[in-house]
Amino acid sequence: MIEVKNVNKSFDNQHVLKDINASFEPGKINMIIGRSGSGKTVLLKSIIGLKIPETGEIFFNGREFIRANIKFKREIRKELGMVFQGGALFTSLTVEDNIMFPLNLFTNLTKKEKLSRVNFCLERVNIQNANKQFPSEISGGMQKRVAIARAIALNPKYLFCDEPNSGLDPQTAILIDQLIHNITVEYNMTTIVNTHDMNSVMEIADSIIFIYEGHKWWQGGREDIFNSDNKELNDFVFASELCKKIKKTNP
Amino acid sequence: MKLLSVIGKYLVLMSAVFTKPVRARIFIKRVFEEVEQIGMDSIWIVSIVSVFMGAVLTLQVAINFTSPVIPQYLIGLSARDTFILEFSSTIICLILAGKVGSNIASEIGTMRITEQIDALEIMGVNSANYLILPKITAALISFPILNLLSIILGILGGYLIAIATDVVSIYDYIYGLNYMFVPFYVTYSLIKICVFSIIITSVSSFHGYYTFWGALEVGKSSTKAVVYSIILVLLFNLILTQLLLT
Ligand SMILES: Nc1ncnc2c1ncn2[C@@H]1O[C@H](COP(=O)(O)OP(=O)(O)OP(=O)(O)O)[C@@H](O)[C@H]1O
Ligand SMILES: [Mg+2]
Repeated sequence: MIEVKNVNKSFDNQHVLKDINASFEPGKINMIIGRSGSGKTVLLKSIIGLKIPETGEIFFNGREFIRANIKFKREIRKELGMVFQGGALFTSLTVEDNIMFPLNLFTNLTKKEKLSRVNFCLERVNIQNANKQFPSEISGGMQKRVAIARAIALNPKYLFCDEPNSGLDPQTAILIDQLIHNITVEYNMTTIVNTHDMNSVMEIADSIIFIYEGHKWWQGGREDIFNSDNKELNDFVFASELCKKIKKTNP
Repeated sequence: MKLLSVIGKYLVLMSAVFTKPVRARIFIKRVFEEVEQIGMDSIWIVSIVSVFMGAVLTLQVAINFTSPVIPQYLIGLSARDTFILEFSSTIICLILAGKVGSNIASEIGTMRITEQIDALEIMGVNSANYLILPKITAALISFPILNLLSIILGILGGYLIAIATDVVSIYDYIYGLNYMFVPFYVTYSLIKICVFSIIITSVSSFHGYYTFWGALEVGKSSTKAVVYSIILVLLFNLILTQLLLT
C-alpha cells in the first residue's frame, strides 16, 4: 500500500504537480494516465524519491519516505522495482549481468543460484537465448522485457512502470501488459503504471488516476471511465476515432 | 555567487563519492575496468607525445646552446628537468584532461540522460560512489605510472636524437642526465600528478553527473569538463609549485 499526501513539485518557476493525494493498493494495477507533459513521470519519480517534492508525504506501508534519511531510503528501495520509460538498462553490461546486478549487490547467493534466478526472471518475461547479448543488440520490446526482468529480480513489494509499452507494436504491448498484470497478482505487489495508452487501461487497469496539468483530475475504475462526464477526461479518453465509435455503439 | 553554489554542489557530490563501497569485490572489479579505460588506453598517446617532445626539446636546446662557453652536458640536464618538473606531469595532464576527461563526462552524462543513474539509485545503490570512486582510484593508480613512463620516454627521445644527429654527443647527454640530479623533483612531479588525477576525474565526473536534457547537453558537459579540468590543473600547478619548490 502506497499513500501520497499533498504532494507539490515545481521546477524553477513551473508548478508541475499540484497537491496530489492518492493511494495505491497491493495486488492491483494502479494506473496513472494523462497527456504527454502532464506530470506522470515526475509523479512516479517523486513517489520513489528520485525527485524531492517541496511539500507532501509518501508512505510505503505506513513508513514515511520523502523525509527519511538516505540509509532508510536505501532500505526501502531494495523493496521496489522500477521499469523506466526508456528501459534504462546498463549499456555496458550484458542482459544477464543487468539482471544479476541487483543480486550481486544485495544477496549472498552463490554464482549458480544467482544464475538460476536470472534465468527464472528471463523465462518469466519470455526471453530465451539472449543472456550474453548487450542491450544495444536486442530489440526495443526485448529491452523493455529485460527491464521488467531486472525490476523483479529481487522480488519487489512495489513495482513501478513508466510507459512500459510505449513504442511497441499492439501485440507486444498487450503481452507486456499481461505480464505486468500476472506478476502483480501472483506476488501481490503494489504496482503503479504510467501510460497514455487507452488499450492498456482497458486491458489491465484496476484503479485509474487521471492527471491533468498537474492536478489529480479524476479517479475511478475501468468501467467508470467511459461513463464519466468529466470533460477533460472524455477529451483524453475519446481522442481516438476508435474510442469514439465504441462510445457511440455502446452508449 | 554562482561559483559558490557550483563549488557547494561539487563538494556535496564528493561527500557522496568518498564513502565506503558496499561490496569490496565489486569495487575492486570496477577499479580494474577503469584502470584499463583510463590508464592502459592512454599509454599510446602518452608514449608518442613524450618520445617526440623529448627529441624536439633536445634538438631545440642543442641548437640554441651553440656557444663554446656553455657545456654540452647542459642539454641532457635540461631535457631531464623539463620532463620531470613540468612536461610529464602538467603537459601530460592537459592531454589526459582532453582524452580521459571528455570520455568520463560523456559516459556518465549518457548514463544520466538514459536514466541509468536513476536506475542505480532506485536499486538503493549510491550511484556517485559506484560510478565515480573507481574512476578516481584508477586514475590515482595509473597516472603516476604514466608520469614515470613519460619521463623515461622523453629522455629516451632525446637520447635517440643524440644518436641520430650530431647536435650533442651521447657521452655529454648521459653525463648531463646524471649531473646534479635532485631526487625530490621526482617526488614533486608525482605529487603534482596525483593531485591532477583527482582534479581531472572528479571534475569531469561532476559535469557528467549533472547533465540534463538531451544528447546536446552531453556534448556540452564534456566540453565543460575538459575546459574546467585544464583551468584547475593550471591553477593547482601554480599553487603546488609555490608550496613545494620555493
Ligand atoms: N528535471 C526537470 N527540470 C525542469 N522541468 C522538468 C523536469 N522534469 C520534468 N519537467 C517538466 O515537468 C513537466 C511534466 O513532465 P513529465 O515528464 O512528468 O511528463 P509526462 O506526463 O511523463 O509526459 P510523457 O508522457 O511525455 O512522458 C514537463 O513540462 C517537463 O518539462
Ligand atoms: Mg513520462
